[in-house]
Amino acid sequence: MRKRLSLLGLFSVLFTAFSFGQVESEAILGVWESGSGKARIKIDRAADKFNGRIVWLREPKDEAGNPKLDKNNPDETLRSKPLLGYSMLKDFIYKEEKNWEEGTIYDPESGSTYSCTITLTDENTLDVRGFIGVSLFGRTDVWKRVIIKKK
Amino acid sequence: MIRLQLASLLVVFSTTLFAQESDTTIVEEDFSMYDDAELADGAKRFCTNKVLDQSPNKLISFGYDFQGAHDLSFGAWGSLPASSVRVKSAQGIRINSNFPVISRANVLLNIGVNYWETNYQIESSESHPISSSLQTRGLRTTGVTATLFKPFNEKRFVLIQSVFDLNGDYSLPDFQSLSYTRVSPTFVYGWKKHDRLMFGFGFSRTYRVGEPNVIPVFMYNYTAPSRKWGIESVFPARANFRRTFNTRTLAFFGYELEGQTYRMSSLKGVEGIANPELRRSELRIRMTFERSIKNFVWLSAQAGLRYPWNFNLDDGNIFRGFGDTPYTLENNLQNAFYFNLSVNLVSP
Repeated sequence: MRKRLSLLGLFSVLFTAFSFGQVESEAILGVWESGSGKARIKIDRAADKFNGRIVWLREPKDEAGNPKLDKNNPDETLRSKPLLGYSMLKDFIYKEEKNWEEGTIYDPESGSTYSCTITLTDENTLDVRGFIGVSLFGRTDVWKRVIIKKK
Repeated sequence: MIRLQLASLLVVFSTTLFAQESDTTIVEEDFSMYDDAELADGAKRFCTNKVLDQSPNKLISFGYDFQGAHDLSFGAWGSLPASSVRVKSAQGIRINSNFPVISRANVLLNIGVNYWETNYQIESSESHPISSSLQTRGLRTTGVTATLFKPFNEKRFVLIQSVFDLNGDYSLPDFQSLSYTRVSPTFVYGWKKHDRLMFGFGFSRTYRVGEPNVIPVFMYNYTAPSRKWGIESVFPARANFRRTFNTRTLAFFGYELEGQTYRMSSLKGVEGIANPELRRSELRIRMTFERSIKNFVWLSAQAGLRYPWNFNLDDGNIFRGFGDTPYTLENNLQNAFYFNLSVNLVSP
């Protein structure tokens, strides 16, 4: 009987720890606005990785009135792809202490992809640091959580 | 009973995992649902420090600057008669850096360290103390630049820059006293009208004309709706017309007014001068071509005319303002062709 109780206790502790880890890692989920205010990005989870897609653009149309395409992409085959829905954050893994690492960020304005880490500084603020090789050679953009108004 | 509890716990655990997977199912989205939204906690939006397609910030730059042959004429100075020498070339390395150390939505602070040198090759340099000094010691600038961009909201901002330069005929083993550091602060109050236009007015205490001066400045950065051209300027220090071929290939046509005051320790005591300072200022009218050669490594090639504005000698750090205080020694440089090549690591 005591052995069974110990097993149950251990299982409860593990379950609580697992759930807490899940909650903390998922604090990044939601819709965020970039520092420039030009785009909103929705971050989702796929298995153990976190990705972000562009879901809103302040200027969604080009000069001709057509939806903006990823025309700066170095890969020519991707230049006809619409920016809306484009996956600009890829393959982030939750590490610890509100940090998501080992991912990449794509800048549609330059067509460049950078190494990237994301830090949740408070529940509504992300520090998104794109860098080249080492974190020193980089720049941090501050993203704010967006609340979608119900229609 | 215990078995039942254990089974219930397993069910809850499995349900949690299942719910997790179903949350990540990708479905077609109606993007219009993201149109009507507000920032959480009523957070403010702030303007950024660049316009669309503006040339990238260079984190590190390794460059080489070369000026072609030209004459250098000296006025009469005490017992020294007027004379002239032929400068075969003036060349040297230019290393610049500019790192964002604070990068928040409501404040950006960049700090950079710079090192420039100009080495002179002069025929019969020993004929005059100045040409002799330039030939044997050259001119050097070691500096730190701090740039603060403070946006107040989506439209208004302040830009404050301070440059701390140590200029002179020193060498690294025989370094110059920091008391000769020259500080050039600039203040601009500006507006960002939209993603393609920002401008501002302010003032600067600058050494760009070779000696201390306080001048008004006008900042104007613009990109045309076609995004094929733009203007990048902080008038009167520099102005460039930009042609954007694509995001990785840019060309510029414009000018920069470049200058400093150099402490010439090797001339101290010559003709009784106590604090010799060389006023160097030149207008560089040029074409620049910049291209990404591999990912974040950019090549910059620049060529043009170096038009001399000032190359006189003063005794001390004199502020002339609108006065007509004479120089200790008035010199003249000829125009010269110049080019500058640099390899740059650009910022995200």
